[in-house]
Amino acid sequence: MPKVMIPTPLRQYTDKKDSVEVAGVTVGEILGALTSAYPELKKNLYNDEGKLRSFVNVYVNDEDIRYLGKDKAQVAATDTVTIVPSIAGGR
Amino acid sequence: MIRIGDEAWQVMRAHAEAVYPNECCGAMLGRNDGDTKHVTAALPLDNVHAGPRMTRYELRPEDLLRADKVARGRGLDLIGIFHSHPDHDAYFSETDLKNSCPWYSFVVVSVKAGRFDHAKSFLPNMEQTEAPEEALELLS
Repeated sequence: MPKVMIPTPLRQYTDKKDSVEVAGVTVGEILGALTSAYPELKKNLYNDEGKLRSFVNVYVNDEDIRYLGKDKAQVAATDTVTIVPSIAGGR
Repeated sequence: MIRIGDEAWQVMRAHAEAVYPNECCGAMLGRNDGDTKHVTAALPLDNVHAGPRMTRYELRPEDLLRADKVARGRGLDLIGIFHSHPDHDAYFSETDLKNSCPWYSFVVVSVKAGRFDHAKSFLPNMEQTEAPEEALELLS
């Protein structure tokens, strides 16, 4: 099954696991299965409208899903899905 | 609270002063024991903001991905982000807030006339509407 790498601050919601294997062949299915298994993750990843929060980026291996079809991005059993925040700022 | 060790702090300070008058940015690695975040290493990262970098910074997500991998490789965690405010105080601006992520501590380093002046840490909330200050201790 594909492996999802969990960012450090979110491991408090995954029983301290730094990666979780979940079933699914698209990013949408995998994140759905992940947040079903660990419901506390959901509010960290999705807003009230059910969309990924603006600061959440998702990668399949080293590719940003924005360039792979977003939620429909295909994920193979040997792939790694990584959640990475988007960060900027300035005075 | 967040406690930054001397080795990490020297890297952060040197990076902030080196890129002055532009804003610097980077990742803080370490451990969170539940009460205190201990920063033991810092990774300077590129400010890739397309416009003026004296007033803005932007991290490349791929660099954060790399920082996360470096942390895991060292048995550490990615626990915070730092950036500088050249010739301004270390506050968390509206721009900082609207482009933040609630998963991390955000340390702002004030650099005035090219030299470190002071630093503060902030904890933005999930909705990016407020960022209370977090106690910060520099071990240098």
